Amino acid sequence: MGNAHTPPQPPRDEPDVGGQPAQEPDLIKKIVSQHNKDKVNDNTQTGAFPVVGKRKAKAKGKVKRLSTSSRSLKARLGTGVLIAVLCALLAYGYVIQINNKDLTYETMSETELTRLISESNTQVQRLEQRKAELTRQLNSLEEAADKEAQAAQIAKENEEASGILSGRLPAHGKGIVVRITQGTKAPIDASTMFNLIEELRNGGAEVIAINNVRVVTSTYVSESDNGLICDGKLLEAPYVVKAIGDPSNLQNAVNLAGGVGSRLTVKYGATVTTEVSDDVNITQTQLVERYKFAKIVE
Amino acid sequence: MAAVLGLIIGVVVGLFVRPDIPIFLQPYLPIMVVAALDALLGAARSYFERNFSDKVFVISFLSNVVTATLLVLLGNQLGVGSQLSTAVIVVLGIRIFSNVSAIRRFIFQG
Repeated sequence: MGNAHTPPQPPRDEPDVGGQPAQEPDLIKKIVSQHNKDKVNDNTQTGAFPVVGKRKAKAKGKVKRLSTSSRSLKARLGTGVLIAVLCALLAYGYVIQINNKDLTYETMSETELTRLISESNTQVQRLEQRKAELTRQLNSLEEAADKEAQAAQIAKENEEASGILSGRLPAHGKGIVVRITQGTKAPIDASTMFNLIEELRNGGAEVIAINNVRVVTSTYVSESDNGLICDGKLLEAPYVVKAIGDPSNLQNAVNLAGGVGSRLTVKYGATVTTEVSDDVNITQTQLVERYKFAKIVE
Repeated sequence: MAAVLGLIIGVVVGLFVRPDIPIFLQPYLPIMVVAALDALLGAARSYFERNFSDKVFVISFLSNVVTATLLVLLGNQLGVGSQLSTAVIVVLGIRIFSNVSAIRRFIFQG
């Protein structure tokens, strides 16, 4: 404000100075000197930062000239070596720090450590959750695998059972072997032979074979001029009937009084011998027939 | 010449000699390296300005390193070590940048 107010004053003084030059020279001198003083006093520039750059530059130049000219070679060599040593230290520290890979927890502050601990805790929790999830998955997969294995086992058992039943697979086990010679009175007819098979079945025979024919559900016995025909194959005496099942039951079924055994001996004059064996081997097999009409009910 | 030679020697020695850094020195070594780097770049700048003084370089190198280390030490004792080391790194980084830009001006004339 003061600065803005002072400029209008000098123009008002100047006309006064110009207006009375000849009247009082002393006064004019006084006014002029006062004016000059005011100018100096009104100077707003502060002296806080005197400009001393030039002198400093001069001094610097002097030092430089001094350092380059007056110092001995020995001193310069010494400082050079010192510089080299310092730079070597710097590079050495740099390389060491680069290779210093192990992060030591000793240098960390408390807050950093707590943060690290909490972070790792949350990570552990997350990993445990993931582990539980994966374990559950593994368990379910194992269960599925178990189920599959069970199914496969059952399927295999079924296959064996049905294979034996349909005559696709050879079988062995406890049972009896019946040997029937050709009848002396008359040739053995088909119905009697079929009767024998039925009796054996009633006695609980699981697998039956006559000579080289495996007896299955569709087996038939018929007569021809040459003899008995079973499933298209000619049966020749003596007939060997093998049956796997409870031996005593089977024996009873054959040797029952008035049964098929006695009929064979009495009516046809054949000799019937039954032999109990712990290991009757039936190696004859039948081809599986394809069902034309029957279909599985689903 | 001496500086470049020293740098090469230091790298080679550092590659082949690997001492275990004492634990109390471990937080200070990176700061020391940065401070020394700043001093080196300042020396390079003054070399380009043709007022390089080896005495000044040696003194500034040592004082830079010592000051940075002492600041971080003080920060560690006051419990603000990480913040103060960050501050030191920031300041030294700014100085390194300004030195590099001055050197660049001398090299590319602009």
